[in-house]
Amino acid sequence: MSDLSSHVPILQLTDVRKQYGNEGITTEVLHGIGLTMQPGEFTALIGPSGSGKSTLLNIIGLLESPTSGSLLMQGRETGTMSEAELTQLRGKNIGFVFQFHHLIPAFTALENVMLPLMLAEGRPTPGQRERAVWLLTRVGLADRVDFKPGRLSGGQQQRVAIARALAVNPPLILADEPTGNLDTGAADEIFKLLHEINQESGTTFLIVTHDPRLAQRCSRVVELVDGRLVA
Amino acid sequence: MLFRILKNSFLKRPKAVLLIFLSVTMGAAVATAFLGIAGEVSHKMALELRSYGANILLEPSVAEGGFLREEDLPKIKTVFWKYNITGFTPYLFGIAEFSAGDKRERGIVSGTWFAKQLDVPGEGVSTQGIKGIAPWWDVKGRWPEDADEAIVGAALARRLNVAPGGEITSVVRGRSQVFKVVGVVTTGSYEEEQLFAPLVTVQSLLQQQGNVSRVLVSALTVPMDAFGKKDPATMSKDEYEKWYCTAYVTSVAKNVEEVMAGSRAKPIWQIASAEGALLKKLNSVMLLLTVLALGASATAVSTSLMASMAERSPEIALMKAVGADRFQISAIFVGETLIISLAGGVVGYVLGDQLAEIISRTVFNSTIASPLWLFPTALISAFVVAIAGSVAPLRRALLVEPVRVLKG
Repeated sequence: MSDLSSHVPILQLTDVRKQYGNEGITTEVLHGIGLTMQPGEFTALIGPSGSGKSTLLNIIGLLESPTSGSLLMQGRETGTMSEAELTQLRGKNIGFVFQFHHLIPAFTALENVMLPLMLAEGRPTPGQRERAVWLLTRVGLADRVDFKPGRLSGGQQQRVAIARALAVNPPLILADEPTGNLDTGAADEIFKLLHEINQESGTTFLIVTHDPRLAQRCSRVVELVDGRLVA
Repeated sequence: MLFRILKNSFLKRPKAVLLIFLSVTMGAAVATAFLGIAGEVSHKMALELRSYGANILLEPSVAEGGFLREEDLPKIKTVFWKYNITGFTPYLFGIAEFSAGDKRERGIVSGTWFAKQLDVPGEGVSTQGIKGIAPWWDVKGRWPEDADEAIVGAALARRLNVAPGGEITSVVRGRSQVFKVVGVVTTGSYEEEQLFAPLVTVQSLLQQQGNVSRVLVSALTVPMDAFGKKDPATMSKDEYEKWYCTAYVTSVAKNVEEVMAGSRAKPIWQIASAEGALLKKLNSVMLLLTVLALGASATAVSTSLMASMAERSPEIALMKAVGADRFQISAIFVGETLIISLAGGVVGYVLGDQLAEIISRTVFNSTIASPLWLFPTALISAFVVAIAGSVAPLRRALLVEPVRVLKG
């Protein structure tokens, strides 16, 4: 469902800065970030708390605009886009996986996975259902499609969240501590799943993690300290 | 999908939904009650204000001479605004020499109707006279019933030293009439200097059979506005029609003047103006109270929704993260609010209708008929309250930062 070319970097940040102002005092939380990600990369973003990882993820995820600098999403300058264009670009090209699955309790696993598709198309369709079933099967939950989140384990809930992130077949997945809420065994399984998807479909992953073991399993590690990339 | 999300929202947060529902219902109930009463209050107040005196004076036009015809009086009950005419009474005045015992006074003898049964073909029987249009007259004794009975103004009675049961002889140009005093009237005004007797007797005394000097008319009217104050002679045909068909005191006066040959009708402005000003103020107060009540309800809705939005930040953040645009997020929350406001509007209307009935019975000792427009008005006021209360919470919802909220 991605409408963008795969021959250019998925992501290109150039001198991205982010400032927040409150009562005349301005605080810069990102200082001249430069980052390029190629299609198919499996990258870990590490850094201490307060280093600006969430802010950087917000900006890459087109949920927040940088104060200055440029962000190209597969060659398209996002700085001049309207909010509606950014929402559409995000909806079709970026998937999110969070530490807590944030599934909608009233929806089944199938309906949770269908949600991004329904939002993109405005209504449910048979094609969406088929894709959702396929994705749940891919993440190992073929026999849980009609289960509500309350009947799934933590690891299973996170698998549903991963399937949801993949629903629109985005070229880029942003995962913010996807294993932070899981035990070691479940965390390993999830990370393995993400890696497999990366290898199978070439989906680019940017994963925020505090776990050095998991970071080492990524093909690339970038470290953010005090709003600056150090590696 | 929207239906599922809304259903989930209602089931998951019953207390928040109930609070919003109660706020909307209260707003709709108050709006229904006040607006329902406002129309009736104006009407009831207008009727109450009729007890402060006639508001139209009919007198002979200068060109026609000194008297109006008594035989024209029933026609007043046939005019276009006949249902707005709450009462009228004729007067015939003459200067008389009064004597009672050894007391002598010169004063005014007034012939009038006290409570005359008027049968107008096609319009039924009505009672016209002073008793209807001047209820503040305080009569010690009783009202005259026979042709030779009279009531005397309190000041004149003191000077003549008469009381109920006494007699007064009235002499006008050599013709004399003895009146039995059946009552002494206190009005607080010039009427206390006069003697009031049945019109037919005074007409005979003054040799003016069939004539009256003036007619006082009491009519329900609407407050004068800029249009009503315009000179009818300068109006276009459409404007004249609109003016004639609006119950301004001027147009009702014109109505009555048209059926009383040789008459000129004038609004009694101190009554008409005061009444108009009072009714306008009353309507303004009711409207203001309605707006304030709706404002309070909207504030309560906003407060409840703010709390709800804070609780639902993760849900909003998720929707944003997975691609929902502002319209889709707004649709969910506005949809919720509109469903609640629809229910609140219906219940508010029913409660407001009952409240209006209670107020009407308590204050005016009567029932009111709920106008048809009140139901859609209740629904609209409920929607307005809900939408107004949603603005600030919705703006906050659209500013939710997904990554920060969902980070956990």
